[in-house]
Amino acid sequence: MFPSKKPTMNSHERPMCVQGDSGLVLTTDPKPRLRWTVELHDRFVDAVTQLGGPDKATPKTIMRVMGVKGLTLYHLKSHLQKFRLGKQPHKEFNDQSAKNAALELQRNSASSSAIMGRNMNDRNMHMNDAFRMQMEVHRRLHEQLEVQKHLQMRIEAHGKYMQNILERAYQTLAAESMVSGGYKGQASRGVPDMGAVKEMGSPVSYPSLQDLHIYGGDQLEMQHQMERPLDGLFPTDDSIMSKKRSNPYHSNGKGPLIWADDLRLQELGSTAACIVSQEEPPPSKSEQLQIASSVIDTGIDADSIANVYEAKPILSMDSSREKKYDGRTSKLDRPSPRRDPLPMEMMNPMITGGAMPQARNLSYGFC
Amino acid sequence: MEVAMEEAVAPSGCSSTTTTMDDDFICAWNDWNPAVDWGSFSSVADDFHELIESMMCPDVVDSPDGLMSVSQTPSYNSSPSSMATSADTPAEEDVGAGGSHDGDEKGLRLVHLLVAAAEALAGPHKSPELARVILVRLKELVLQAGAGAGVGGTSIERLTAHFTDALQGLLDGSTSAHCGGRNSFRDGHLLHHTSDVLTAFQLLQDMSPYIKFGHFTANQAILEETLGERRIHIIDYDIAEGVQWASLLQALVSRPGGSPPPHLRITAVTRGGSRAMRETGRLLAAFAASVGQPFSFSQCRLDADEQFRPAGVKVVKGETLVMNCVLHPTMNNTRSGSASSVASFLRGAVELGAKVVTLVEEEEQEQSEERSFVRRFMGELHRYSAVWDSLEAGFPMQGKARGMVERVILAPRIAGAVGRAYRDSKEEETDGRWGKWMAVMGFGRVRISCFNHCQAKLLLGLFNDGYSVEEDGSNKLALGWKSRRLLSASVWKPPLSPPPPCPPSPIRVGIVTPDGLTASFEDSDFVSD
Repeated sequence: MFPSKKPTMNSHERPMCVQGDSGLVLTTDPKPRLRWTVELHDRFVDAVTQLGGPDKATPKTIMRVMGVKGLTLYHLKSHLQKFRLGKQPHKEFNDQSAKNAALELQRNSASSSAIMGRNMNDRNMHMNDAFRMQMEVHRRLHEQLEVQKHLQMRIEAHGKYMQNILERAYQTLAAESMVSGGYKGQASRGVPDMGAVKEMGSPVSYPSLQDLHIYGGDQLEMQHQMERPLDGLFPTDDSIMSKKRSNPYHSNGKGPLIWADDLRLQELGSTAACIVSQEEPPPSKSEQLQIASSVIDTGIDADSIANVYEAKPILSMDSSREKKYDGRTSKLDRPSPRRDPLPMEMMNPMITGGAMPQARNLSYGFC
Repeated sequence: MEVAMEEAVAPSGCSSTTTTMDDDFICAWNDWNPAVDWGSFSSVADDFHELIESMMCPDVVDSPDGLMSVSQTPSYNSSPSSMATSADTPAEEDVGAGGSHDGDEKGLRLVHLLVAAAEALAGPHKSPELARVILVRLKELVLQAGAGAGVGGTSIERLTAHFTDALQGLLDGSTSAHCGGRNSFRDGHLLHHTSDVLTAFQLLQDMSPYIKFGHFTANQAILEETLGERRIHIIDYDIAEGVQWASLLQALVSRPGGSPPPHLRITAVTRGGSRAMRETGRLLAAFAASVGQPFSFSQCRLDADEQFRPAGVKVVKGETLVMNCVLHPTMNNTRSGSASSVASFLRGAVELGAKVVTLVEEEEQEQSEERSFVRRFMGELHRYSAVWDSLEAGFPMQGKARGMVERVILAPRIAGAVGRAYRDSKEEETDGRWGKWMAVMGFGRVRISCFNHCQAKLLLGLFNDGYSVEEDGSNKLALGWKSRRLLSASVWKPPLSPPPPCPPSPIRVGIVTPDGLTASFEDSDFVSD
């Protein structure tokens, strides 16, 4: 049973604490709060150790093991969270605990200082823990934002370089095909598998390339496209796209691309773009909505949308996509309000990055 | 999968899953595999990976041949006549059952056939004729499913198609194990890669973190280790198209601190085609110019034996040397270099006095001491089924794109891996061993920073759920899909003294008993944080 903490021990400090008949020490604020006294905390630690450590223990199990009346799941949940943070300052968060920690900090910022005040005369451990926890969390969040920022830039560079490679390859290919003359001979080399790529592209494409099987018959079409090699590869009939072609090396789009508030928007590769243009792929639905919402909500008009997608010239875009956006506007939910917009202006609109088939919140604690 | 194992199904169990067909053949299969609970399979084809995993489960596989299917093969081998009949019955059953197969049943059947073929090729009861028959049968099934060209069909069927081709290649005796019927784009170092390969590569990068994980982790480690240096010289064992370095170039110019970026020099190790390499160099130089990073590029040829000669590298005084070794074949490589070649490269790191060596390699799931072909074949099957699953989980609707990636990038690698497993000669590279090799050779471990680990996790977060990154030891990050480790990136510091002239080959390291390994670890002076 919980060893009762004598009120007399605390009486010299503050008369606010009363010991309920459950054996727990509660404050007498208008909103009674549980005081995590040393003994209670020790019991807590014992229980957690029994259950295999702070990562394995859950509030429910801890409650069961501790067997203290009056202890609610809520108490345990928040205490466990703090314990985890304080206990492992050098390990990474999982995104859940980081989010919770961040939320907790925000929600409890006022009360935490109050709690700290109350703990002032308690054992130093509690106060240090609280301070340490807060600092840890702040530090961690800051670090993750740093990492995220750098990662964005690196992915961007990676994508830009891939773009260069592709362009160089197609140019060379064009040169070669012209030189070699014969179309039939180019059986396996040269013409990419349009089928796979088209699938990643919009459903609308050049009719002559619709029925591509292997490469043969489409050579003619490819030749025709060779002046704009990427267009040929990834058919698009959007005139906006063809007008705004940016220099592969110094790629500044027509306008700076606003990052909006979605990292994934920047990561938009052909695959992701086409996820957006697919009809109803369930796994990416939430992500589509988010991408669409972030684009629309930042007030970007259709022109900029073209800009965004033009970032990757291999993206396909067609009028149906815009219709899709319109259709979706009414259904859009704003993504989680906690996320800060990352107003990164991208000088390089040509991004290939990871595709985001599933939504993930990146701007907060992540790891 | 424990559930599946516990509920061992008696032969009567087959009736619950095969109500639509009263085919002796199928029930006979059930008889042979009591450990597999056929009744419990859901129809989710993209859990194929777990099916394979269930087959890899130790308590099932602990039979003398290490295979679940071993119970089947005696019936094949012992009576050729019965083999003939059992080869006939599949034909009947397919005619009868038509399209009413349960997806998983079919998948498992394909896998069983594959393993049986592998067994026939190199198992204890070797029989090339049997293998041929099985492969023919497999091709039939695959074509039936429409997965013949490596597109269409379910994931399982496509995977089977590629593995069948790989096995067929072995049978036909070609060392590259490459199917002649497909497009051969594996033309070594072309001047320019076919746009097919590049497109597929692009798609692969967009759909999965495999490529970027290795590159970014290595680059971050390099960045950290060369902080404050004025000149950096990277020797890259396999530069591919130089894709790895784009992000490093960018990172170098955007280092906080305001000081001008260091001069970066990259030396690419080539095996001959210097024209392609010059293209790569030009692309990199142009990119570096566009971000404002001082850069220069040079090449270094391997000698005739594919050995790396440190003397062939021009080293400038005062520069920090980094050796980069990405053994995870990316684009046009079906083989990532022979073991001795890689070993010479890594040893060169010591000779040249490199500051850090970054290594990216494929991971083996379990460090089994048994290196039989069948075992390794199943390992490869398991690995690629995980890759397949990861792609499918992220992009279930984009079957064609996945098919292309599978066909263009993964299939050659499957062929290469199967070929290597088959040869299993001491010269061949083995997965996941180079890290161990380096440890034994006295390379120190360089700690993976918090930043690096965090970056990897963030990167994975951009993709679908299921990928995981974990730290292994202090200097390695391992990327995996669900429970299967696929790739690892590790960072090492060469020992100060040159290694012994005759280092153990990776295979020998593997064969050494755990005690032996421990003993050799004691001697080395690596720093484990």
